[in-house]
Amino acid sequence: MSLERKTAVKNTIIYGTISVVLYSLLYTYEEKILELSREGGWNFYVPMVIAFVFSIVHGNFTGQFWDMFGIKPKTTKK
Amino acid sequence: MDINFIDLSAGSVILLFLIGFVGGLVSGFIGSGGAFVLTPAMMNMGATAIMAVASNMAHKFPKALVGAMKRHKFGQVDVKLGIVLGISAEAGVLYGAGIQEMIRESFGKAGSNLYVSSVFVVVLAIVGGYVLRDALRMMRSDNPDSEKKTKIAEWVQSVHIPGTMMYFKSIDAKISVLFTLPIGFATGMLAATIAVGGFIGVPAMMYILGVPGLIASATELVIAFIMGMGGTIKFAIAGYVDIRLAMIILAGSLFGVQLGAIGTTYVKPYAVKIVMGVIMMIALTSRLVVIPVYLSELGQIEPLSESTASLLKDLSFGLLIFALVTGATIVFKALIKGMREHREKMAAEHAVPGTFSPASSEDAHQLSPTGRLERVMLVTDGTEFSRGAVSQAIELARRCEAKLFAFSVMANPELGQESHELEKKTLSERLGKVREEAAAVGVDCEILIGHGSEAYVDIVDQADASNMDVVVMGRRDTNDLVRTMLGSTTAKVIGHGHANVLVVPRETRDGGKGILLPIDGSRYSEAAAVTALNMVKQCDAPLTIVSVALDERLKDDAHAHASQVQRAMAEAGVEANVDIRVGRPDEAITAAAAEHGAELIVMGSHGRTGLDRLLVGSVSERVIGHADCPVLVVKL
Repeated sequence: MSLERKTAVKNTIIYGTISVVLYSLLYTYEEKILELSREGGWNFYVPMVIAFVFSIVHGNFTGQFWDMFGIKPKTTKK
Repeated sequence: MDINFIDLSAGSVILLFLIGFVGGLVSGFIGSGGAFVLTPAMMNMGATAIMAVASNMAHKFPKALVGAMKRHKFGQVDVKLGIVLGISAEAGVLYGAGIQEMIRESFGKAGSNLYVSSVFVVVLAIVGGYVLRDALRMMRSDNPDSEKKTKIAEWVQSVHIPGTMMYFKSIDAKISVLFTLPIGFATGMLAATIAVGGFIGVPAMMYILGVPGLIASATELVIAFIMGMGGTIKFAIAGYVDIRLAMIILAGSLFGVQLGAIGTTYVKPYAVKIVMGVIMMIALTSRLVVIPVYLSELGQIEPLSESTASLLKDLSFGLLIFALVTGATIVFKALIKGMREHREKMAAEHAVPGTFSPASSEDAHQLSPTGRLERVMLVTDGTEFSRGAVSQAIELARRCEAKLFAFSVMANPELGQESHELEKKTLSERLGKVREEAAAVGVDCEILIGHGSEAYVDIVDQADASNMDVVVMGRRDTNDLVRTMLGSTTAKVIGHGHANVLVVPRETRDGGKGILLPIDGSRYSEAAAVTALNMVKQCDAPLTIVSVALDERLKDDAHAHASQVQRAMAEAGVEANVDIRVGRPDEAITAAAAEHGAELIVMGSHGRTGLDRLLVGSVSERVIGHADCPVLVVKL
């Protein structure tokens, strides 16, 4: 297996695991999170922070996921 | 106001995930899309209109962020233009929302719906029609890759208003912000009205500013991020954001946005316009069919029966889904076709895409470290730091009658294909010069350029795929800055690769003679000893074994290690001197190399741990950083 593929598999597993943990936390603390969101005002940071954190973790996971299957952008390799 | 978030069933979670995926696929490709289906879908699940809009926005901005970052890697995003347009668009959104509110108060819900639908139909008919016509014209033209600048764009780029000019990389021209501000503002205002800002923003960038289609659609993601984030903050302050809904959609849409973004690298520029135009036309039809419902509600036409009204509404929603699915299908087909064609093209040109020619069966070599040196890979970045590596690699290949393979890695393209092509040309020329230098001393040299965001990955894979015996690389001038060695491309190639690595300082001392072999009794230094033995046999150079004791008490051990290796060398017919030293190993080794005037240090590396700090081994790493002669790092 090439180093490129190996790195993709490793990263997919790492980010995938963190992503699953984050979604489980969101599910577990659903009530509390919605209560805070509903209050609005300064609590606006709650959904914002969640959105940013999920975008980084899940974004990396999905990127590496396609990479792992060899679905990559076209390069102009000679 | 009392805010009630909806209960979510497994079915609705799956549905949101799937719509998210399809929407993400389309927006990764054309810069926007998906929102117009998601909002009504959430409303169908029981969310109120405002909550659906708020949650949609909360998924849109992280999605746009991920998409923008991905496409930035492909050199398709004009960040500056995106920010400039995004900020003015945000102002437009706020103003547009106010107008929307005013209309709702004056004409009621049906009046407001009629207004929105009419604006939607008129704007999309004009813009979508133009985009589609342009796409078809490009598709049928002799040169489908070229995008003709519109007359308006030519004029906009020619206007010079002092004090307002701003340079944008994507068009390689200065444009007055007096043009970008109203465009951004209008985009935002329409986005607030018809909820699909990208359908205005992308064509405006393409036809008014003269931005190429692929760059416009990628830059739209930056605008969508700014607008989406602003909108989400506004709704979150009011407490309307259901972050669960947003994150479920995001779970699917990030898979899609990545795929859509990858798709853009395989298609011709008109493909983005076709997808956009087709979606706009179908979405327009969807709005058109509900206009009679609003007219009847306002009493402007004969009242429609309830069943007819509900049929038209269902048809409208169905058409929206059809628009999205059609767009996604085109993207998918384009991606699959593009990837297949690319692979076929690569297969036709080379046995393996982008690799050096393989070792022929006649000169099939044994694996390092026991074999001869037959395939030498030189990695050069064209800077002065690799100067020493170039001359050493040519000399090594000449002395060992090996074949030379010169390799450079290019970073992924920056914005604007021209600079990328220019960089490629410069690199090719530099590699060509290496080939000439090698040819001058009778060394056969192949050249190749690789692409990647992480150079070491490409180097390691290339060395493995092409069965290289040794990789020759330059060293940044480190001296005491050993830290900079860490995490450098050279350290990573040593740590991750299988081939031996020859690290060459920028300037090596002249007139060096002989090989220095530091040993410590480990299996790594045994591997180095085998390689050194083969080199001495091949090149007939004097060999000095260095063994370093940390203090006087350990001197006997050091001596025993050295004698053992010396005996093994003698049995193989090679005479070696022994030098026993006391002190810090790295300092003692570099001092010994300088005193003996060694032309090469051969040493082991303790292998691959996966951690950058431990990639090379601290002694080897320090010797590499300090030595004034090349260091051959032998891999087990």
